[in-house]
Amino acid sequence: MARTTIVSALLAASLSLAALPANAVPSFARQTGLSCEACHTVFPELTHFGRMFKASGYILTSLPQVQGVTPEKEQRLALNQVPPLSLMVQVANTSLAKSLPDSSGLHGRAQNGTVAFPQQVSLFYAGKIAPKLGVFGQLTYSNSSGTIQIDNTDLRFADLVVLPDEKSLIYGLSLNNNPTLSDLWNGTPAFSYPYQSSNANVSPLARTAIDGMFAQTVAGLSAYALWNESAYAELGAYRSAKQGYTNPVTGAAGPLDGTASNVIQGVAPYWRVAYEQQWDLHSLEIGAYGATFKLLPGGGTPASPTTLQGATNRFKDVAEDVQYQFLGDNNLFSLAATHIHEAQTLDASFMAGASANPKNDLTTSRVTGTYFYRRKWGGSASYFSTTGSVDSVLYPLGSTPGVTTSANGSPDTPGWIVEADYLPWLNVKLSVQYTGYTKFNGGRNDYDGYGRKAGDNNTLYVAAWLAY
Amino acid sequence: MTTRLLLRAAILLATTAALARSADLTPEARSSAARMAVGTCASCHGAQGTSIIPKFPNLAAQPANYLATQLKAFRSRSRGDPDALAFMWGMAASLDDSQIDALAQYYSGKRASAGPNGDAALRARGKAIYDHGVASQKVPPCGACHGPKGEGTEEFPRLAGQHAQYFMNQMRSFQSNSRRADPMRLVASALSTSELEALAAYIQSM
Repeated sequence: MARTTIVSALLAASLSLAALPANAVPSFARQTGLSCEACHTVFPELTHFGRMFKASGYILTSLPQVQGVTPEKEQRLALNQVPPLSLMVQVANTSLAKSLPDSSGLHGRAQNGTVAFPQQVSLFYAGKIAPKLGVFGQLTYSNSSGTIQIDNTDLRFADLVVLPDEKSLIYGLSLNNNPTLSDLWNGTPAFSYPYQSSNANVSPLARTAIDGMFAQTVAGLSAYALWNESAYAELGAYRSAKQGYTNPVTGAAGPLDGTASNVIQGVAPYWRVAYEQQWDLHSLEIGAYGATFKLLPGGGTPASPTTLQGATNRFKDVAEDVQYQFLGDNNLFSLAATHIHEAQTLDASFMAGASANPKNDLTTSRVTGTYFYRRKWGGSASYFSTTGSVDSVLYPLGSTPGVTTSANGSPDTPGWIVEADYLPWLNVKLSVQYTGYTKFNGGRNDYDGYGRKAGDNNTLYVAAWLAY
Repeated sequence: MTTRLLLRAAILLATTAALARSADLTPEARSSAARMAVGTCASCHGAQGTSIIPKFPNLAAQPANYLATQLKAFRSRSRGDPDALAFMWGMAASLDDSQIDALAQYYSGKRASAGPNGDAALRARGKAIYDHGVASQKVPPCGACHGPKGEGTEEFPRLAGQHAQYFMNQMRSFQSNSRRADPMRLVASALSTSELEALAAYIQSM
């Protein structure tokens, strides 16, 4: 097998996915008639009410309905007369502390200062479909792909039981394309900080599987229940659902065969438990979540044939998260943190010589504090760290010009982000964000083996985020 | 003595009227109101009408007629204080009169509880204003409209146990006339911030 191994191919995929930010949607404001502040501290972080709106299936509406009712009063149709559509535009400029080497190999430097106009444009249909069915649907044009693609999508059925003690039990199903997308809190990966970031920066080699590795390349169905707006449990399973794949035999959209890479064997189980306590102006959530992905390498070519059978690589992720919020009229503060531990059993890669070790581990930690004054001025400070086993095959030295390589085979990448935000209006966010690395791919100086320092990848990102 | 008797008679009449309306509700309407209250309203106001978040009002034991009037004011967008505009305009937009009545009955039938006591001196100052008003500032006793124990009437809201933060926000809205109610605009404008805070502390503890 070529150096493009199962794991490194996944990592490469994650680099592009890492650029996709989480979102908030004015579609919901249009549908409910509620201002942004009902569901968001500052978008896209959710308030308690926002979490309940999501758990309830996005169906709360104040719009006139097109109705269909049988003589027995069975509701057969309840459709918003006006579709809850909205747009999101992000424009940005990215500067690295030190410009990248010119990939044309003439020992020059790439331009520094990447203007993204736009970085991303998204169209949402987000809201009620039927009396107990709603959707968060997003189509995105990204300047990195130059195409329009399916983005985070969460199709949800939800219902409510009023228990004898007049406590609520919300239960439902979520069909979505990104593990943790269905979650209600902002410590879990799909909707965690940074809510927007550059797609013209340098991404580290390693990332845990549940941390966005499979965003938009899987489909998962999960069942969940929320008792008394506080105790939450969810159980689901994800299966590969690759966009843009065609079966070489039929030319149709499937089934997947050995030409597809990193295919989930069967389904990957996903689980989540959480408890939220509210008091006065405070709320505190503590939870755990996890998933286990068994991947078949695939990636076959006529020169290197393979099938979707045999040894797999297993990524078992177990994580904890916590979120605290203080929501005053003037001052809003939140703290969100997660700690993901991943045990990798790399049977397929090790047999193919694509990893130095049969087993590795990877740990990601993130903690973010956010403050806003009157939802107008504010900012965030975040610490992040990914550390793991040294594996010089998995995290290789690679060839010139380096940059995305590791001189010592370590994935360790700790760093921090500081961000200042100004929201002249609730749906317009202007941001200046600086990301600094204390290590990158295992090293501080000459981390890539070609003279680049971790600090050279420090990134200044200036962005405008318009949601309307 | 006569005033007290009249007041008691008025409260009795109001309560009887509320109970009569409650009896008019079909089991279906009652169940639908409970579902709405527990499934949607509870996130801000609490399932039993006692909210955790102090910017949102307690609704438990609030007179039904007052609640219905407010919900209709949200629906018609005639009540325009900031939180009404941000939250309740949307919430009430699709409610019909029968749903509003059922919700009003649901919450009026819930048991209210007193809030935290807070500072004793502040409460005592608030109680003096509540019971006697401030004649020099032409502020009448609050109990004249809201009842001697803050229990409210069919026309005027219950104040007993209401969150201090919600109370203060409403006073500011009366002052700025974003929530239009002329008597309250005069009262809220006549009192100083410290007097309003004392009143808020007393009302919350009632």
